[in-house]
Amino acid sequence: MAVHPTRRVVLAAAVTLPLAAVSGCGGANVLASPPRPAADVGLLRSAIAAEQLMIARYGAVIGGTTAAMSSTLAPLLAEHRAHLVQLRSRLVVPAGSPTPSQRAPAAPAGVPSAPGAALAYLRDAERAAASALLGRLPHAPASLAQLLASISASEASHVPVLDRAAAR
Amino acid sequence: MSGRTGPGPVTIAALQAALAAEHAAIYGYGVAGAYLTGTGRATATSDWLAHQVTRDTLEAMLRARGAKPVAAAAGYQLPAAVRTPAEAAQLAVILEDRVAVAYLGLVALSEASIRRFGAEQLQASAVRAAAWRGSTVAFPGLPASLLAAPRHV
Repeated sequence: MAVHPTRRVVLAAAVTLPLAAVSGCGGANVLASPPRPAADVGLLRSAIAAEQLMIARYGAVIGGTTAAMSSTLAPLLAEHRAHLVQLRSRLVVPAGSPTPSQRAPAAPAGVPSAPGAALAYLRDAERAAASALLGRLPHAPASLAQLLASISASEASHVPVLDRAAAR
Repeated sequence: MSGRTGPGPVTIAALQAALAAEHAAIYGYGVAGAYLTGTGRATATSDWLAHQVTRDTLEAMLRARGAKPVAAAAGYQLPAAVRTPAEAAQLAVILEDRVAVAYLGLVALSEASIRRFGAEQLQASAVRAAAWRGSTVAFPGLPASLLAAPRHV
């Protein structure tokens, strides 16, 4: 006897939920759209893509440079790889979503070959990446905001290193 | 819900913690500067001034939120003895690391302007710390215990 009301409540809830979704959001496509991943999944994916691009940029510059310059760049690249590991460890992909690429994208086009210009290219990229992360902070849950802010600070600290290397 | 009641105790406590770290940094840079010469002394002076500017900003932020800013202590116990320029540089690194932790505390708050301020100060601290250390780090301010152990990289 006790089973029936419970089942009825569950069935009623199952019927009511989609209706509430339709009347609440007012769009016919509400029922058709898959469940949206949490906001931090989108933030993580864009931060991961940014780190992959940065790693590809360093790879492209290191590939065409002197040993002295690569010894300056290698520790910075290692830090970007560490950023990527931490960002990926936070990414919990919802069931049914496409798996993000595990490999860094192909080498970006337009990487300058002259050493000074290549260092300036990396410096500008670091500055832009650090600033882009600051822009993402308001939308992140607290612990992710701390990770993004720390990565942003690490990238900001690379800027003077690249400037000093360019001045040598 | 709490938006009408002004900043919560968590916000005030985090701002006070950042201010206390700045007071300690200002004291510590005063000591470090005494053991440095030349460019080291000049860098210590400019970092010391930067911390004073940030201290003033934090005091204003606290007053704007109806809180009385914590005062500096008359003296601070230094984390390590300073007798040489190298030890002075090490002290500066420790001061910046402590300030960085306090600013990460601000980043955890929900108020967007405080979050951004904390992140900007974390950047500034990481740049100063890297100059004193002679190298950069991957996660300024974040303790290793908060980082996921790398699985297979």
